[in-house]
Amino acid sequence: MHISSIEVHKAATLDEASALMGRFAPDVRLLAGGTDVLVDLKTARFSVGHLVALGAIKNLRGVTEEREGLRIGALTTIAELGRSPLIAGAYDALRDATSRMATPQVRNAATVGGNVAGAVPCADLPPILIAMNATALLVSDKGERTVLLEDLVVGPRQTILRDNELLAAVNVPRPPARFGAAYARFGLREANAIAVAGVAVALVLNDDRTVRSARIALCAVAPVPKLVKAASRLLVGRVLDESACAQAAALAMAAAEPIADLRGSAEYRCELVGTLTRRALAAAQQRIGR
Amino acid sequence: MFTARNFTINGQKYDVAIEDGETLLDVLRDRLHLTGTKKGCDSGDCGACTVLIDGEPLNSCLLLASTVDGRSITTIEGLAQNGELTPLQKSFVAEGGLQCGYCTPGMVLSATALLERNPDPSTEEIKDALAGNLCRCTGYTGIMRSVERCKNYLEGGQCAKPHETASPAEHSGVGASIPRIDAADKVTGRALYTADISLPNMAHGKILGSSIAHGLLKRIDVSKAKALPGVLAVLTGADVTDTKYGVSPARYDEDVLAKDKVRHIGDPVAAVAAVDEKTAERALKLIEVEYERLPVLTDAMEAIKEGAPLIHEKYKRNICTSVDYNFGDVDAAFKESHYVREETFTGNNVFQSPLEPHASIAAWNHDGNLTLYTSTQVPPYVQYMMAHVLHIPLGKIRVIRPAVGGGFGTKAATTPLDICSALLSRACGRPVKMVYSREEMFHYGRGRHKQHMKFKLGLDREGRIKAVKSEVYLDGGAYTSFGVATAYYAGSMIPTLYKMPNYRYDGYRVMTNKPACGAMRGHGVPQPRFAFECLLSMAADDLGIDPIEIRRRNAMTPNTMTLNDLDIGSCEFSATLDAVAEKSSWKEKFGKLPKGKGIGIGCGGFVSGAGYCIYRGQVQLSHEKGREQFQKKAIFPHANAVVRVSEDGEAAVLMIGAAEIGQGSDTVLVQMCAESLGIPASHMRMQSADSEVSPLDLGAYSSRVTFMAGHAVSRAGAMVLEKMKPYAAAMLGCAASEVQARDGKMFVHGDASRNVLWAEVARQCFNDDGPLVGTGWYKPPEGLGGDYKGATVGTSPAYSFGSSVCELSVDLETGKVKIEQFTDYHDCGTPINPQGVHGQVEGAIVMGAGETTMEGVEFGEDGHLVNPNLHGYLIMTIKDAPEIFSGVVDSYEPRGPFGAKEIGEGSTLPVLGAVAHAIANATGVWIKDLPITPEKIVNAIRQKKAADAARRERRDEPVTAK
Repeated sequence: MHISSIEVHKAATLDEASALMGRFAPDVRLLAGGTDVLVDLKTARFSVGHLVALGAIKNLRGVTEEREGLRIGALTTIAELGRSPLIAGAYDALRDATSRMATPQVRNAATVGGNVAGAVPCADLPPILIAMNATALLVSDKGERTVLLEDLVVGPRQTILRDNELLAAVNVPRPPARFGAAYARFGLREANAIAVAGVAVALVLNDDRTVRSARIALCAVAPVPKLVKAASRLLVGRVLDESACAQAAALAMAAAEPIADLRGSAEYRCELVGTLTRRALAAAQQRIGR
Repeated sequence: MFTARNFTINGQKYDVAIEDGETLLDVLRDRLHLTGTKKGCDSGDCGACTVLIDGEPLNSCLLLASTVDGRSITTIEGLAQNGELTPLQKSFVAEGGLQCGYCTPGMVLSATALLERNPDPSTEEIKDALAGNLCRCTGYTGIMRSVERCKNYLEGGQCAKPHETASPAEHSGVGASIPRIDAADKVTGRALYTADISLPNMAHGKILGSSIAHGLLKRIDVSKAKALPGVLAVLTGADVTDTKYGVSPARYDEDVLAKDKVRHIGDPVAAVAAVDEKTAERALKLIEVEYERLPVLTDAMEAIKEGAPLIHEKYKRNICTSVDYNFGDVDAAFKESHYVREETFTGNNVFQSPLEPHASIAAWNHDGNLTLYTSTQVPPYVQYMMAHVLHIPLGKIRVIRPAVGGGFGTKAATTPLDICSALLSRACGRPVKMVYSREEMFHYGRGRHKQHMKFKLGLDREGRIKAVKSEVYLDGGAYTSFGVATAYYAGSMIPTLYKMPNYRYDGYRVMTNKPACGAMRGHGVPQPRFAFECLLSMAADDLGIDPIEIRRRNAMTPNTMTLNDLDIGSCEFSATLDAVAEKSSWKEKFGKLPKGKGIGIGCGGFVSGAGYCIYRGQVQLSHEKGREQFQKKAIFPHANAVVRVSEDGEAAVLMIGAAEIGQGSDTVLVQMCAESLGIPASHMRMQSADSEVSPLDLGAYSSRVTFMAGHAVSRAGAMVLEKMKPYAAAMLGCAASEVQARDGKMFVHGDASRNVLWAEVARQCFNDDGPLVGTGWYKPPEGLGGDYKGATVGTSPAYSFGSSVCELSVDLETGKVKIEQFTDYHDCGTPINPQGVHGQVEGAIVMGAGETTMEGVEFGEDGHLVNPNLHGYLIMTIKDAPEIFSGVVDSYEPRGPFGAKEIGEGSTLPVLGAVAHAIANATGVWIKDLPITPEKIVNAIRQKKAADAARRERRDEPVTAK
């Protein structure tokens, strides 16, 4: 379980990190919190000769309130995000994810950037961020671009990031009035349990309690964090009564394309998606009510 | 490529050259020898490696050391200042917040960080903060008490002394809940486990395991591995003895390294020693092995089919042991029964998962003597088996058992690490250390047999048992290991709890291409006990009898010979039933809870030490010469102790080879010896680790230590006291027969004011007579057991009994079970250390509840392990653990030391049935297939709904036809 010979390069700036990535590709990985990368290296899921350590780069870490919304630096740890006073209130659904993933020790090391750009299908943050219309700021030494978060991940552990490109920040637009979001997940233990399935919901209601917009995103039941677009179309203009929720749940189940593994069969995961969709819808609604 | 880095650790600056790829954990342990930080899984799953970085807990196994230079690192060694424990550490000591101690450094650091930022955490906040630290021993109950206690002291502003050990005035002998004698070492990271030890010039070894589950070995080429710089020795099957080894003398079927065949993935094929572990790991990858694949058998029920490929030629139909117990006439009794029900149940392949991985260090002296440090439960069996495999006399082998981080049965046999480290050490002329990775532990196995069970129960109108019949197939994996005993135990222990006039058991121990199963806590019995308890509760339901009442009606009574000739002495089983019913408010709850809430009962008990040991000949024999003649008596004592009083009389050193593995045996043995000597336990020193110092005790298995070793140590103490009495009598001016001793004083019986210091008398003894030494030993009573085949398994000088009530809730949509409350009462005789007893019960409940709901090694069709790690193989976290009430009923076992019986394994047995019953009570469906996962629950609920609907439809049909 020792990591075979590897060279660690500490980047001082984003540009430097980008240049190093470009230089050593494909024999290189980024090292942020390391909670995934180190396990992968020890278990030889992959093997590379170089790591570009990002820890020394300033201004990549921390949560800030910007004019358009929340900016979460890619090196912000899950724990920092979870305890940031800025996510209280409108953004508190993020805490549904940050408080329940992995362990306190892992949350103290693991970064938002790693959880998002690592593109592991059972990652907990991407679905709720996607539901909340988050965007990703991608930076390279050649320039920067912003993409919708749902467009970032294209497959298990695969993203649209180019060799020399890094995720610098995730931006979450400031929610409008009468907004509520929630993330419901299911794991086989009360703590330190990988999500068997998860459903994130973000709702905006009209004054008459009909749905102005609804976004539902799924965790761990598809190769990528999946936005259930059909549910958004279905719910707009409707009141979230039992039948609307049940129909949304059915659409979420239909959108799920889970694998069967140790943690559950495909059928069970689909069933969970239905249950969790109803629960997340109810929790999100309740948050609007407050 | 090495780079000099500087670290600030516990306030000290360290300059150390490291490689870029080294984890902080490896740098701390291997380069700086700060071994208080433990390696449990090396994957961020267990939390044993927790350190504080700038005050925050992180897994040091997931940090590259090269990225944390310059930050402030705190390890467990940095908490106590100038030898003074922190309030939190003292709380852990006082409240039984630790047992094996392997998770303790990480646990203490996580809790320290919590209290630092939140001095007044709620119960939920404590659990959240400790959710990343797995513990396998305590059930987290003592840990919660420890943090709560410290919190209270912090609140009161009295941080300095939350606890001191019992003051000399307090009695610290038998019956006192004194803290574990190793607690302070374990909360400070000073306790040394095998992997913490480094010998000069030590090399490191690794074993190459088979990559396929069943096949013939066609070719091994180790030339590339040998050529790798830093490699010191490479061994294959061709280089090692043909002598096979194992556990049961009649079934030695394991090769040291595969000779011609591999039988499971991970089966040892080659071994390498190198200058460091990393080089050894690299060398393994350079060994080329060619196999001819054979069909893989992963299912015991397939393996027994006629024509299935044989895993060992000598085991026809892949069955290595068949058991046929037949008492009374079950067929006739079923015919006469008012009620008969038969059900099938399936167990799971549970793995002990102690937090400390198996480890060994072997070193040969120039005179041909071997010293073996090993993380084992059974030092003398390891010594015996090493002599057998190495073909040297037992007397040339010294076994040292450092602190052991939990065993639960997976450390109850000689491991490939023990043997290969010795062989590699001999080959390269250096000490060799070998440590399993978490994954390798799973591949070595020796976990619980998955049992396929059919149980049939016949009752009379009042619910009294008329007959019991069981047929059990035990899926044993690729080698016999303990399997012979397991197969017998699965049948022999069923009649100890309830009276039954007719009983039949057919057991088959089956080979499959999986890691060998062995003796896990409750050896062979928990699954049949689970099945029987479930069936009894089903029957109670069918007959309309309260499930506790039906148990009362059948409960074992004291001084009874069971129909399979087990000699039950003390038995307060009924009292445990009454106590749990009362304490859990059973009557107010059973049958009256809302849907989704459940309550259930389960019972169980175990032997207080096996009546016979595994080898029965003279202990000096290192080779089995044919089959042993069976005699119904112990040839040699199973437990032996020496106590030597220091020359100044201020200390007594207890020497006994009993294996402290976290269960607390050192502490209770010290208490019993102190009691019989008449001195405070704090004046005792324990030497239990070294076979060269301490006489033989068979080890920590079959719940034998308190009972058997307890006798040996109290007799040794009594011998010393007898030697002292004439001297004391002379000083006190009374007859020797009138002298008594207690808590460091010797006094005249009936007049404690006429006393003299114990130490003063001891000094006088030494001055006049030289060393003051006592010895003691224990042999189980002669003649235990009946006269049928397999009559010895299940014999014991005494039996424990217990009842557990489980309360839980089930999320009926997802199937998730939340176990909320356990109420347990045990008859463990008279406790020696009540806190230790409750610690065993609390740990057993959480382990057993996890075993029932979430644990199980899973295999692919090709025999690969799907979850050989602690994120796939789930053990309960602190957030999963229920609230636990543990109580003991009044009991005294005349055959036991100070009236004591066992607790360690018996406490597991009621748990599985209680959980299963509570789930059935909450959901309306019985799940008879362990583990009872959420998915199985929702499927069963769905099936029941469909069946109920179909039945309604059928019932409706005639109506509509009208």
